[in-house]
Amino acid sequence: MRQRLEALLERLVRASIVERIAISIAALFASILVGGVLVFVSGAFASCQTGLNVAGWTFCYNPMQVYYELFLGALGHPLEGGWSPGNHRLATTLQQTTLLIFTGLSFAVAYRAGLFNIGTQGQLVVGGLATAVTVVYASLVVPSGVVGTVVLIPLGVLAGAVAGGFFGAIPGALKAYADANEVITTIMLNFVAVGITSTLLSWQFQDPDSPNPGTRRIPEYAEIPNIPLVGFSSRANFSLLALAFAIALMIGIAWLLARTSFGYELRTSGVQPEAAAYSGVDEKRMIVTSMTLSGALGGIGGALWVLMQHGRWLESVPPLGFDGIAVSILAANNPLGIGVSALLFGVLDSGSSAIGTATAVPPELVGILSGLIILFVAMPEFFRMIGTRYVEVGSSDLVRTDGGELAEDGATADDGGERDD
Amino acid sequence: MIDGLSRWTVIAITASVAVLWIALGVVFPDSWAGVTLSVAASPGTHTAMLRLAVPIALAAIGGIFAEKSGVINIGIEGLLIVSAFSAVIVTFWLGSGESTFAVSHHWWGLLAGVLVSTLFALLFAVVCIEYKADQIIAGLALWLIALGLAPFVSRIVFDSPNTGNVGTFDNVTIPVLSEIPLLGYLLFDTPPQVYLMFGAVLVGWYVLNWTSFGRWVVASGENPKALDTAGVDVRKVRYAAVILSGVFAGLGGAGFALGQLGTFAGGGETDMQGRGFIAIATYLFANYHPLGALAGSFLFAGLDAFQLRIQNIGYAVPSELIRTIPYVTVILVITFVGKTRLPDAAGENYESGED
Repeated sequence: MRQRLEALLERLVRASIVERIAISIAALFASILVGGVLVFVSGAFASCQTGLNVAGWTFCYNPMQVYYELFLGALGHPLEGGWSPGNHRLATTLQQTTLLIFTGLSFAVAYRAGLFNIGTQGQLVVGGLATAVTVVYASLVVPSGVVGTVVLIPLGVLAGAVAGGFFGAIPGALKAYADANEVITTIMLNFVAVGITSTLLSWQFQDPDSPNPGTRRIPEYAEIPNIPLVGFSSRANFSLLALAFAIALMIGIAWLLARTSFGYELRTSGVQPEAAAYSGVDEKRMIVTSMTLSGALGGIGGALWVLMQHGRWLESVPPLGFDGIAVSILAANNPLGIGVSALLFGVLDSGSSAIGTATAVPPELVGILSGLIILFVAMPEFFRMIGTRYVEVGSSDLVRTDGGELAEDGATADDGGERDD
Repeated sequence: MIDGLSRWTVIAITASVAVLWIALGVVFPDSWAGVTLSVAASPGTHTAMLRLAVPIALAAIGGIFAEKSGVINIGIEGLLIVSAFSAVIVTFWLGSGESTFAVSHHWWGLLAGVLVSTLFALLFAVVCIEYKADQIIAGLALWLIALGLAPFVSRIVFDSPNTGNVGTFDNVTIPVLSEIPLLGYLLFDTPPQVYLMFGAVLVGWYVLNWTSFGRWVVASGENPKALDTAGVDVRKVRYAAVILSGVFAGLGGAGFALGQLGTFAGGGETDMQGRGFIAIATYLFANYHPLGALAGSFLFAGLDAFQLRIQNIGYAVPSELIRTIPYVTVILVITFVGKTRLPDAAGENYESGED
């Protein structure tokens, strides 16, 4: 049973991996195209001094310029003079990439287990506060300097993981033992997370010397250190060490999912829950475990947001958790793909402030783009139709549709879903 | 739901807690129970409840149609958001307080909101039915696109993620009926979107239960093959149902924005504050019954109105925590109440054997 399933999963993955990459790239370009049209059209409703005049309408925005600023601005304009790899924009891009790897992995782990964790945002908010508070209080006892760095950073990350994991375990348990739809509970818990953390902040942890809602600063030595000599200035709030940690964790999760029996059970639960239950997986425990792991990853994202970016927890948390959904979906929920996809979204996030300063186009364009990317990735059939219309495609590319090759083996993932019960 | 707890057990337990609370409140008016009871019993809370119920109830009716037909529309929050901000912006463009063709610009704004929401629903329908997208992911995408669009469009028009204020609908007072004691002020002296809500819920209930289209919708979700065999095009039924969900959600979002808010904040989670997701929980709780969904929306909107007024009193509990009451209740409700049986074919694409 197990070998058969393993072989089946393996074959499914191999058969579709090229296709999935093609779909992700096509989705990306389709979103950029639609976003460009949106930018151009919305320019007709904006007011400006100079713009493109077409039949009495003034179109204020130039989509090409917007995308130039978005993609190259995020790298610090490498095509213009005086570029150095250590520039502030590139550092911001990599900083966002680092954080998005965690939130993307968070969504992916749950998704691979067949669960939608929309609550990464809340888990990140809770985890981040736990990290900041733990480090602030622990720094009163722990000696400063290198010892402080070595003790406080792992402690902070652990606190974030535990708090986020606990906050992820709640919807997991509700799903496993009360059959409560996890999409609804996780979204509701995002609001609850904001409420709880704000309450805790105003009750106890608000920095009395700061007008902004946020905790006290953690000591300098507890922030993730910059590697000197590599070029990024310490003002950039980006650390290569953090990125290396994110990549290591990403490879670890990929290994966990692909090479361990736990990962095997998790994936089987996601693809064919009945088969997993038949082969002895405790379904309820798997739901709670995978949601806890997913929440812990979101919590680590919050920890790094505190330890690397701000040095304190702020009440206004950026939507890193929601962006993580797009990161993971664009990567077809494959942990290794998430690295590439997180870099792309890091570019989008950092580029959004570049278009905010260099053009009049609202930076929220990036939010629309990530929604569009998810939408297009969700409809592979759209690209298959276009593909088969204009390109001669061999039948081997159509395995997942009706009458494809795998169907004769009886049980592709799609068939399993559509069979009459 | 948790094994061993039936829907009625939970309702009975909740009712006895409520009776105890009311008894305590009446006997000790200065206690915690007394203060909260006086808030819950005040006419202001009830008026606010009806207005806050508008987006939840209408989105729930829309969601019922889509999900009954077999298309889970988890992006209904997105439809509420796009209809709300486009209604406000169109009203602003036309000039609030004025009218065209003897119809106030607020009504044109409402119409625009419904149209935009319907267009988005059509897009969602094409994506899910034509291109067989995963409905949950496509629904999430719809929501995230709306979360981006609201501040994007507001910034272009108002140079801020929040729209300007266009004012709200005036109350429509029905003579004589509004004089009825206890209920008159509530039901017959209220802004138009509340009448729209009651009307739409009744229409939805009637269409779903008493027309052949309603039976097709149910069949398309439960047993599309049988419907196909009977000669009805499953795709057309699903298209119609999803588009209807756009019309209902549009009325809810635009009605809420123009009747209650008068403006729309597009930052963060936007002014919609997850009401579309609360609507989904509401119709699951009501087991897809439109009238039950109306009652459920009163529960959540009532808690919302209650927490808003408790915040104003300045009770010892911090307002940030009070604000989470409706969300916590949603979690409790879908945990403890009712195992809802989804339509058999919900979430699946249907392909007729013809092509």
